[in-house]
Amino acid sequence: MTTATALDRAGSRTIMWAYLVTGISLFGLLALVGLAMRAEQAGWINVDPGLFYALMTLHGAGMITAMVLCGMGGLWYLMDGELALDRGIAWAAYVLIVLGVIGVLLSVLPGHFGAAWTFLYPLPFVGATWPNWATGAFLIGVALVMLGWIVWCTQMLGCVLRAYGGFRGALGWDLVFHHRAFEQSGRREPPPFAFGALVTAIDGLLSAAAGMLVGVALLVHWIDPSVALDPLWAKNLTYFFGHTFANLTIYMAIGFVYAALPRYANREWHTSPVLAVAWWATLLFVATAYFHHLYMDFVQPHALQYVGEVASYLAAFPPAVVTIFGGALLVYRSPLRWTMGSMFLYAGLVGWLIGGIGALIDATVPINLSLHNTLWVPAHFHTYLLEGVALFVLGWIFWNLETRSGQVSSLAVRWLTGIGIFGGGAVLLLGWYVAGAASVPRRYAAQPDPGPAIASWASIGAIVLCIGLIVCAIEAVRLARADEVEVAA
Amino acid sequence: MESHGTAVLFGFLIAAAVILLVMAAIAKSTHEPSIAQTIVQPRGYRLRRGWLWALAAVAVVAFAISLPSFPYGNAATLSGPHFAIVAMQYGFQTPQSVPSHTPIVFDVSSRDVNHGFGIYDPAGHLIAQVQAMPEYVNHLPITFARPGHYLVRCLEYCGIAHASMQGGFDVQ
Repeated sequence: MTTATALDRAGSRTIMWAYLVTGISLFGLLALVGLAMRAEQAGWINVDPGLFYALMTLHGAGMITAMVLCGMGGLWYLMDGELALDRGIAWAAYVLIVLGVIGVLLSVLPGHFGAAWTFLYPLPFVGATWPNWATGAFLIGVALVMLGWIVWCTQMLGCVLRAYGGFRGALGWDLVFHHRAFEQSGRREPPPFAFGALVTAIDGLLSAAAGMLVGVALLVHWIDPSVALDPLWAKNLTYFFGHTFANLTIYMAIGFVYAALPRYANREWHTSPVLAVAWWATLLFVATAYFHHLYMDFVQPHALQYVGEVASYLAAFPPAVVTIFGGALLVYRSPLRWTMGSMFLYAGLVGWLIGGIGALIDATVPINLSLHNTLWVPAHFHTYLLEGVALFVLGWIFWNLETRSGQVSSLAVRWLTGIGIFGGGAVLLLGWYVAGAASVPRRYAAQPDPGPAIASWASIGAIVLCIGLIVCAIEAVRLARADEVEVAA
Repeated sequence: MESHGTAVLFGFLIAAAVILLVMAAIAKSTHEPSIAQTIVQPRGYRLRRGWLWALAAVAVVAFAISLPSFPYGNAATLSGPHFAIVAMQYGFQTPQSVPSHTPIVFDVSSRDVNHGFGIYDPAGHLIAQVQAMPEYVNHLPITFARPGHYLVRCLEYCGIAHASMQGGFDVQ
């Protein structure tokens, strides 16, 4: 195995920061778009419905891409430390994704493409209020993002297979089933974050295959409208792609927790047979839980509805029993240094767990009957994306900045950031949960009562959250501009 | 059919509060004298075994309780009068009235894009829904317990006037 030294890794760090800075900048801009949408629902500002749904499309597609970019950069850097990776391939993936983002931006901002990130066939083509070219620009943009994703996933899969001895080694098969012999052999097990890379690569390639298939089919229909698609087929592919792509952001970003939280706690987080088995379960259930998006499609084969509920429940076990529990155990009675980095990494575990409970409730079919496509849905996914994945990313950014500068943030800055991001975030999230429980539909530019009243106080939470993010950004820039005292390996 | 909203919200908030308290207590423990990982880990792993079985029990019970209320049935075997629902950008074709206290079936389809057929009771609670899809008919079995006017809202994003897409019927 070729392990890069710290000095060799300057180019790798540049790649990581390119991904992270692009992703987190996109996240910041789209947070403001989200605030504008919530303020419009509160009646504070007046946004034309055509623009509102275009912004909703941009916010949905863009936020997931932003988090994917951050996860890709960080995980690529971690795996590059295991086995030196070709930087040209990483740059190629980055360029493809950035070009895709530009395509989506063009379709949405001048073009007002507004079919939502789900672009459920035949919506992009029927009753469209946007020009035909905007549909093509959006689909081509998404295809470019998928191409970049495929390049990255392929490189990641090759890396884990070469680094740990094929699928058997990367899965930790011998560690689980021939534990004593494995330990005596002196072979090194994959570090915990490598399981995230393996699962992301495999499930990511599957999601990309589905996304490309439906994307190309839609492009063909765009070119020749006489070529019709089956709406249920398209819906299955779209949700398999979208659910898996979004879900994998968590499993990429958890690698940051595995890598950095033990350093803060001065403890070890090593790979155990239990951890390996948990990741096998994740590999399977991330790819099968998407059926819960189609609970309300009663024409879907009924067996798949049962699979959807079972897989959704089982998908919760690896994080709840192994990763989040393991994180809590790592921190308990440890000499953990509380900094911006460790605060975000630990708080992200809390957000993931609470959002997961909201998701499990919604994944229960009889409850889904009265929660599906209400504001309960953005409530739970914002909980584990905004207060989970985004915090893992911020935690990783601050871990790197703190390590590089040898400095930490003052207690006042940590409190200010915490009140903004956790306090404001909680109010914002609570608004969606309360409105969802009150049956307010999602994706409404103008909501029925009690939507607007709830959106008013939720928007205050969103403003506080944005202030917290701004404080966080200023602090990150301060640390980035500080003199380097240590090179992070 | 009834809305689960309030009970669900209440249960969720209690669970969230418990998680916050436990995780805050764990965070606070870092201010106490630290304990070696070799001592904490075995205790934690014993606790984890119990946590796994507790979660498994909750999951099995939840699945078992939910099964009888799955709304899926073979359209051919769904008894009671059937009522056709057609969704289109941006409205619904619905019957004027349907009977209460009688099992009925809505046969739901769409003339153009995907829509959602969401039924709101007179108190404004979402009590049932199904997707309205082009080229397919979804059969929603339902029994209305309360007479009154029921509002229908679109619950699948369908275009620029999605938020104003409504219909309704009386339950007599």
